[in-house]
Amino acid sequence: MQILLNNYMIVGAIFLFGIGFMILLLHNNLIKKIIGMNIMDTSIFLLFVNLGYIKGKEAPIIIDGVMHASGYVNPIPTGLMLTGIVVAVSVTAFMLALTIKLYEKYGTIELDEIQNLRGD
Amino acid sequence: MQNLIKLIPLASIMILMLFAFVIPLLKKKKHVYKLTLVIMSLVTVINLIHVVYIALNGGYLFDVGHFPAPFGIVLRIGEVESGIGLLFCFINLMVLWYSYFSLEKEIKSNRIGFFHTLDFLLLASLLGIVFTYDIFNGFVFLEVSTLAACGIIVVKDKKANIKAAIKYLILSSLGSGLVLMGIAFVYSISGHLSMSYIHEALIQNAEGKHNLILISMILFTVGLGIKGAMFPLHIWLPDAHSSAPSPSSAILSALVIKAPIIFLIKVYYLVYGTTILSGTVVLDLVLFLGVLGMIFGSLFARSQKELKRMIAYSSVAQMGYIFFGIGLGNKLGLIMAIYHIIAHAVTKACLFLSAGSFIEQTGYKTIDEFKGIGKEMPVTLGIFTISSLSMIGIPIFPGFISKWNLAMASIESGKILLLFVLIASSLLNAVYYFPIIINGYFGEDNLVGKVFNSKIRPVRTLLPLIILSVVMVLAGLFSGFIIEFIGRGIYI
Amino acid sequence: MKSSIVKNITNLMLPFIQVFGIYVILFGHLSPGGGFAGGSILGASLILFRFVNGSSATDAKFKYHYLLRFACSALVLYGVLKGYVFASAFLGLHDIIGIGTPGSLLSGGFIMPLNILVGLVVAITFYFIAVLFEEGELEHADLVE
Repeated sequence: MQILLNNYMIVGAIFLFGIGFMILLLHNNLIKKIIGMNIMDTSIFLLFVNLGYIKGKEAPIIIDGVMHASGYVNPIPTGLMLTGIVVAVSVTAFMLALTIKLYEKYGTIELDEIQNLRGD
Repeated sequence: MQNLIKLIPLASIMILMLFAFVIPLLKKKKHVYKLTLVIMSLVTVINLIHVVYIALNGGYLFDVGHFPAPFGIVLRIGEVESGIGLLFCFINLMVLWYSYFSLEKEIKSNRIGFFHTLDFLLLASLLGIVFTYDIFNGFVFLEVSTLAACGIIVVKDKKANIKAAIKYLILSSLGSGLVLMGIAFVYSISGHLSMSYIHEALIQNAEGKHNLILISMILFTVGLGIKGAMFPLHIWLPDAHSSAPSPSSAILSALVIKAPIIFLIKVYYLVYGTTILSGTVVLDLVLFLGVLGMIFGSLFARSQKELKRMIAYSSVAQMGYIFFGIGLGNKLGLIMAIYHIIAHAVTKACLFLSAGSFIEQTGYKTIDEFKGIGKEMPVTLGIFTISSLSMIGIPIFPGFISKWNLAMASIESGKILLLFVLIASSLLNAVYYFPIIINGYFGEDNLVGKVFNSKIRPVRTLLPLIILSVVMVLAGLFSGFIIEFIGRGIYI
Repeated sequence: MKSSIVKNITNLMLPFIQVFGIYVILFGHLSPGGGFAGGSILGASLILFRFVNGSSATDAKFKYHYLLRFACSALVLYGVLKGYVFASAFLGLHDIIGIGTPGSLLSGGFIMPLNILVGLVVAITFYFIAVLFEEGELEHADLVE
C-alpha cells in the first residue's frame, strides 16, 4: 500500500491507461473510441514525463549561465513525449477525418450498426 | 568510398522521404510515374550494392547526426537488415511498375499523386523500422507506417475501404499504445533507449524486477503482434487487404506486416537477449499463437468466397509460420522465420498482383466465377499457379524450403508433435489453392463462350509479375546461399 | 460569422497572434517553444481567419494549390538541410553555418532554419485539417491534371 501511495503518479497513469484501453476496446461509438485512444496516449505521456522528473530540479533552459548537469531534470522523456504528442495529434486527425467519411457513406458512427448493415 | 556505402541505409530513407514530397509538386501524371520508377530503381540499385558490401565486409553501427550512441539515434545494419531492405525496395519497385499499367482502372486519376506520395512514405518508414537500433525511433516509424498504410487503403474511396481502414487504424493505435507503454516500462528500468545500452542495463538490474520485464515483453509482443497479424489479433487484416486496390494489397501483405516482425525479433534478441528470454513463457506463447494461426488461418481461408479475401486469410496462415519459427527459439527456427519473410513477401506479391489482374480483366470477384480463366488468361494463371505451389510447399519453391527447415528446427528443439501441425497446415493450404488452379485450367462446363487468350494482357504489362515469379523460383533454388547469408547476421 | 463585433475584433487581434507565433518559432532554440508550437499558433490564426471571414473569402486569399506547394517545398527543403547535417556529420565535413554565440538569436547552427520550415508545414497542415473537417473533403485536391 505504501508503495502505491509513494508512486501515485505511476498508479494514476496505469489507471488512466486501463480506462482508455477499455473505452477504445469496448465502446461502439467511434468518437468515444477516439477519446479513449487520446486518454490512453495521455496516460503514457504522464508516465513518461513522471519518469524524467526529479523533485526540486529546474527545467533545462539556460537563463543565466549553465549550472551543473545535476541541477536540471532529465529532458529526454519530455522531448520524447513531444514527438509522441505530434504522433497522437496526427493519428487523431486522420481518425476523425475517416469518421466523417464513414458517416457520409453509412449514415451512422456506431460500429455494431455498421456491421449489421452488411453493405458493400 | 567505404564511408559513402555506409551512408546508403540513411540515404535510401532520406531520398524516399524527400521525393515523396516532390511528387505533389509535379503537374503531369506521366512525370509522376517516371519520377517514381527512376527513384525506386535508384534506391533498389544502391541497396543491392549495399548488400554486396555487407556480404563482403560484415555489419556495422551507424551514428545518425552529431551525437554518438547513448544520446543520438543509431542504425544497426547487419546481414538481416540489409537483405530485408533490398527485398522491400525490390518488391515495391515491381509493384509500382505493375501499378503503372493498372492503377488508373482502380482509383480516381487525381489520387495517383497521393498514392505515390503515401507509398514512398510507407517504404521509407518500413526501412526505418528495419534499420533502427533505437526503440523510440522504431515506434515513431511504426506510427508513420500505420498512417501511410491506412492512406493507401482509403485511396480507393469505397464504403468497404473506409470501414476497413478505420478498423485497421483503431486496432493499430491500440497496438502502438501498448508498444509505447512497453517502451515506458523498459525506460523506467534501464534509463536508455538504444538497444545495446538497454540490454546491458537490463542484465544488471534484472534482480527482483522479473515481473516488470515480463510485463514489458508481453506488451511488446501483443502490440507488435497486432501490427503483424498474430492469430487472434488478425481481424483487421482480411478486410483491409481485400478491399484495397491490388497494388496496395500487394504492398500491405508483402511488406507492411513484415516490418513489425523484424522489429519484434530485434526487441527480443537485442533488447532482452537470450538469457532473459529463455526464462519466460513469451516464446511459448508466440509458438502457440503461431500454431493456431497456421491452422485457423487456413480453415478460414477455405471458407471464403472472394478470391482476394481468401488470399488475405492465407496471409494470416503464413504469418503463423513466421511466428512458429520465432517461437521455436533456436537458431534454425529464427533463420527460417526470416527466410519465410522473404519467401512469403515475394510469393504473396505475385499472388495479389495476379489476382488483381484477373479481377481487373474480367470484373468478377468470387472464386466460382474464375472457372475456366486459364483459357482466357493463361500466362497470369501460370504465375498464379507457380506462386500457389510455393505457398503449398512443393519442392524447389521457397515455401517448401522454409517448411522443411521449420520441421528440422522443431525436431531440433524436441517438439516432435509440431510436425503434424506443419503437415496439416500444408494439406489445408493445398485444399484451398488447388481447386482454383484445377478449375481455372480444366473447369469444363465453364469453358463455354470463353475464347483462348481473349483477355490476356500485353506481355510488357505482365513483365513485373514475370520478374517477381522468376525471383521467387531463384529464391528457392539458391536457398542455401540465402540461408547462409541470414545465418551470419542472426541475432542469437 | 455575421457579427461585426467579432469580425472587427478578430481582424484587430490576428496580427498579434501571428507575431506571437512567429516569435515562438524564431526563439525556439533559446526558450520553450519551437517549430511545432509556433506553427500551431500560426495555424490557429489562419483557422480563426477562415471561421470569421467565411470560407469563400479565405479560399480566394489562401489558394489550396499554393499552400500545398508551399508546404511540400518547405518539407523538401527541410529534408535537404537535415540530410546535409546527417551526411556532413558522418563524413566529417565542416559545418558551413557554425554555432554562433550561445544565447543570441543567430545561434544553434541549423536549428533555427529547421524550426522555421517546421513551423510553416505545421501551420499549413493545421489549416488543412480544419478545412477537411469543415467540408468533409479537400475540394480542388487535384494534384495531377
